[in-house]
Order: sequence, then C-alpha cells, then structure tokens
Amino acid sequence: MKKTTTLLLALAGAVLATAAPRTITIGLVAKSQGNPVFQAARVGANDAAKELSAQYGMNIRIDWRTPNEEDAQKQAEAIEQLVLAGAEGIAVSCSDANKLTDAINRAVDNGVPVATFDSDAPASKRFVTYGVDDIECGKQVMAELAKVMNGRGIVAVLAGNPNAPNLQKRVQGVREEAAKYPGITIRDVYYHKETPQDAAARVEQVMQANPDITGWGFIGGWPLFTEDAIKWQPGTVKCVSVDALPAQLGYIRNGTVSELLGQQCYEWGHRTVQLLIDKIVSHKNPPAVKEISALIPVTKTNVDEYAKNWAKWLPQ
Amino acid sequence: MPPFLRNLFRFQESGLLIVIVGLGLLLTVFSGTVRIPEFERTPDGGRRRVFTVNADGERVPAFVVRNKFLNAQNFAQLAKDTSFTAIMAVGMAVVIIAGGIDLSVGAIYALASVAGAIVLRHYGPDGAAAATAPWLGALLGMGACVGTGTLCGLANGGLIVALGVHPFIITLGAMAILRGIAFVITKGQSVGGFPEVFRNLVRFEVGDGLSVVPLLVMVAVLVVGWIFLARLAAGRRVYAIGGNEVAARFSGIRVERVKLGVYLISGLSAGIAALLSIGYYGAATSGDGQGYELNVIAAAVVGGASLSGGRGSALGVVLGALIIQMISSGIVILGIDQNYSQIIIGSVVIAAVVLDNFNTWLSRRRLTQRP
Repeated sequence: MKKTTTLLLALAGAVLATAAPRTITIGLVAKSQGNPVFQAARVGANDAAKELSAQYGMNIRIDWRTPNEEDAQKQAEAIEQLVLAGAEGIAVSCSDANKLTDAINRAVDNGVPVATFDSDAPASKRFVTYGVDDIECGKQVMAELAKVMNGRGIVAVLAGNPNAPNLQKRVQGVREEAAKYPGITIRDVYYHKETPQDAAARVEQVMQANPDITGWGFIGGWPLFTEDAIKWQPGTVKCVSVDALPAQLGYIRNGTVSELLGQQCYEWGHRTVQLLIDKIVSHKNPPAVKEISALIPVTKTNVDEYAKNWAKWLPQ
Repeated sequence: MPPFLRNLFRFQESGLLIVIVGLGLLLTVFSGTVRIPEFERTPDGGRRRVFTVNADGERVPAFVVRNKFLNAQNFAQLAKDTSFTAIMAVGMAVVIIAGGIDLSVGAIYALASVAGAIVLRHYGPDGAAAATAPWLGALLGMGACVGTGTLCGLANGGLIVALGVHPFIITLGAMAILRGIAFVITKGQSVGGFPEVFRNLVRFEVGDGLSVVPLLVMVAVLVVGWIFLARLAAGRRVYAIGGNEVAARFSGIRVERVKLGVYLISGLSAGIAALLSIGYYGAATSGDGQGYELNVIAAAVVGGASLSGGRGSALGVVLGALIIQMISSGIVILGIDQNYSQIIIGSVVIAAVVLDNFNTWLSRRRLTQRP
C-alpha cells in the first residue's frame, strides 16, 4: 500500500512537472509611465507575450518596470533588480545611453539578453535595437514641414527631454535637412518636460514671444496628446509632428496639424519581445543589430483608416 | 518581557527596525525562488558560465536556485540603491532638525554630478588630459563633485541667513537655478568617459560581484552624522535651534553660523551622493536627481525627523531610506504590477510614520510612569 501511494505520488509529481509550462519573465523598462507611446509599447509587449506563449506552449510574462518620470538612474536600478528577480530577457528604452550601458552589460554578463527599443545604448552589449532611424526621422519631419510651408518661413522645433540621445539625433536631422532650404530659418529648439501639459505650455510661451513663427516641427508629439492644446487657427501655422496617437488624430482632422509621422510604438513592445523570445528560446539572433521601423505618414486622407489600429493598440 | 526585548523597545529607532525586520520576513517568505545562471572566476579575474552534464549526457549551463530576497546579491543591490538617498537624507536630517528645509538637494546632486563629470571626462580616455596620471584626474573630479555640492549648500545657507528669507523659498529658487546652470554647462548632453581608475574604485566588488563601496560610504556618512548629532556640542546646537530658535539665541548659540553649517552639510551630502552616482553609473546629465528632494525628505520623515524641527537622528533617516527602498525593491521581487507601486509606497510610508510615532508615544509614557 505504502509503495503504491509513493508510486502514485511520484507519478502525479512527474505529470505535474511535465504539465507545468516554462515561465519566462521579460522585463520592460520604458522611459516614463505617463507617456502614451510607452503605454502602447506595453500593450504590444503583452500581446506578443500572449501570442508567443500560445505558440511555444509556455507562459511568457511581461514585468513592466518604468520610472514615473524620466530617470536613467532609476532605469539602471530597474534593470539590476529585474536580473536579480529572475527576468530572462529585458527590453529597455534608454533615457541616457551612457548611464545605462554598464547596467545593460552587467545583465548580459549574467546571462540575460537585452534589447533596446526607441532609444538605443549603442556602446552596450544589447543584441538588437528596434526603432526609427532618428536622424532620418528628424530629416523627414523637416522635409515634410518644408513641403507644406512651400520652402519659406520661420520654424520652431519642439524637442522634449534635452538629455535623450534619440531626440538629440532627431534635432540633428532637422537641422541638417533645414540647411537644404534657404528660405527656412530655425528660430530655436525648445526643450521641456515630457508631459502634454508642459509641452503645450512651452508651445504657447514660444508663440506668444515669437508671433512670427510660421512652422513647428514636433520631434515628439507631446503637446498633441491632449485636446485643444494648440491655440493657432488651423492653417495659420504649419505643423508636422512625430507620433500619431489617438488624441493627435483630431488635430489632423481639424487641420491644425498638417501631417503626423506615426512611430510604430505598439511594435516597440511587440517586436522587441518577439526578438527576445527568439533569442531566449530558439537561440536565434536577428539578421542585423539595428532593426529600423519606418515612420507611417498620417494625413487627412488616411487618418480614419489609421485610427482603427488604436482599437487594438490601446490598453483595454 | 526579557531584558533584551525591553532594551530594544527603549531604543529610539526600534519602531523602524521592527518595520524593516517585518518587511524582510514578508519578502523572504513570499518572494519565492529564482534560478540564476552560475558563474565562476577565471584565473585572469574574469567570469565564466559553469556547465554541468545532464541525465542525457549533454553539457548544459548550470543554475543556482536561491530565495529572491534573502541573498547576498540582493542585499548589496538594496544597499547600493538605498545609499544615494540615505546619504542625502543624513544631510537633510540635519537641516530638518534645525527647523529648516532644503528643496534643492536634487538640483545640487545634478550640478555636482555634472561638475565632477566634466572634470573626470577631461582626464578620461577620450579627454584632453588623457595623458595625465588617471588617479590625479580621479582626485580632481571627486574634489570638483564634492566641492560643488558643498559650495551650493554654503550659498543656500548664506542666502537664507543674509536675506532672512524662509529656506523653502531660497532652496526652491536654488533648485531651478542650479539645475539651469547644469543644463547650460552641459548643453543638455550626457557627460561620460571617466578614468577607469575612478570607475573601478566606486564599482569595486567583493565576492560574487557585490558592489560594496556605496554601502561603505553610506555607513561612514551615517557614523559621522551620528557622532555629529549625538555626541558633539555642535550637533546639540542644531537640536536647540530646531526646538526653539529664540531660546537658543538667548542661550548664546550663534544661530546664523549653525544655520550656515547645516545647509553646507546638506550640500556636502548631496555632493557625496552625486560622486557615488557618477562613479557607479558612469555619466551625468542636468536631468539627474529630478524629484529626489521629495524622496530624501520622505526618508527623513519616515526616519523620525520632525518637520517642525528639534527631533530626528542620522540612524533613523538611513533606516527610513532603507524602508522606502525595501518597498520599492520588494514590489519588483514580488512581481506586483507596477501600476500599484505608488499606492503601496505611499501607504507604507504613512504606516511606518504612524508606527514610529506610536512607539515614541509608548516610550514617553513609560518614562512618565517610571517612579
């Protein structure tokens, strides 16, 4: 009897052991909690986790560890804590590449692969980076703006966090492209805290102080994340903005903004998790260390079609 | 009650210790285990993965299973993450005990980081003075970092004393000015590329990758802070001013001089924290330390420092910082959804303060009831 019980228990244990799917935790460290683009990335990561869990027959879990406000030191601490808590892969959008390089390298040295998205740490041991080519992004903003301004006018650039390496490159791209248009003058690059309210306030301050500005290049869509943030009459000032979040689409519909360049922020999470799982489960490296995601132009002609994507991308 | 426990409860910070032990027990029990890849030291001092042979005769990487909370790496991480706030909190405690407040510690931290980083980069591998002895660059960078913090503190103290304006206003203004200076001198760029000797010093590891320098510096600051506040006449003057500034003045204490000193100490502590930060993380930006003033004030208050002055201790504020960090790390260790983290931290901060106040009330009651 005792032998039979032991045998049954061992069998049950073996069945349970084989039935329990492997759990993989992926740490997701974005720049800031409040920024909607990172919430879309979070949804993308969670969706990828669900899809890949079904595909591989395992339990993939996303552990979202993002500072409330941009803070590279807090991001580095989050990476270190995730490694200690047993994360098997980490995706990070770097607020300061210099500050995060050691934390990323340490994670990799401890057997945890790291992928970057949106903002890279090029000197680190991350195995892949996914996002836009930031210099090209800046150039595209300026080129589209120059097109709608007919190559003439005074332009202001809205640039978010001055310490973010990806935004610095976009500013560089804007300046390089602007140099091709002799009729265009860049009044200045304006930095601000990356909240919709701070960004909208900065645009308003700049417009009051510089009423001769005729074009705005937003290298991130911050002020357009809230409704009625822009005070100019549609058409009086031309504006091209990066990002195409739901709140921004209204500005296209009413003509306040000429064109949006949608970053694939849902894919930041979705694609990065896919790359990490390929690496962790199949030991497969991506074909190239840099995977570029294209910007999607959104104008009055395709805004309604584009808007349908957000039903899937927004947190439910 | 056994004499040991009785003595423990008489101890001023016993409430905080009880909270820490309770949190530690909770985290140990509920954190579960984690499988960590096993490494070994190579003869040249590097690290390499350990491999083992499985039942099928295949060579597979080896793992160690350990409690997620109760392990040396986690404790070293906890100490390191606590150290930046705790060091600044000791300085803040001195200010708060004196009845003041310093809202500029985050900005001082940023400016000191940037000042130190600029000097260190100058002597770094890509800097103009790369050929100079790296230890000289490291020393100058450390001096620039700590010196900038101290000067900022001195400036705060000087303005508060000279203008007679409430420290809230002066340090609020200083917060914007100092961060603005940091932004102007860096042009918003991240400053990195320091001499290896400096990075290796701050990131010095013992055992299995345990960074102990932030912990040691935190302990040193705590000991110095404790001696200053509890054992030196200068420290007693700080309590006297915080308890009753008018009475302190009439008893012959040079209030202005003491006030100048407390803000200098706050700036110095922010400079030391900044030094550790740039050494550990290898870069500085003008955006560093955003909102840290609130974390530091929270640590001081949780640690028993009274915002009305005259009460607090160096050990209390370090324990306060440790409690806040334990909660923050515990949320990661327990895998709690980060959406709830701020609610949890805020609630536990209030609970810790209530428990500490209750313990203080009990101690006072025992004293008054003693025949």
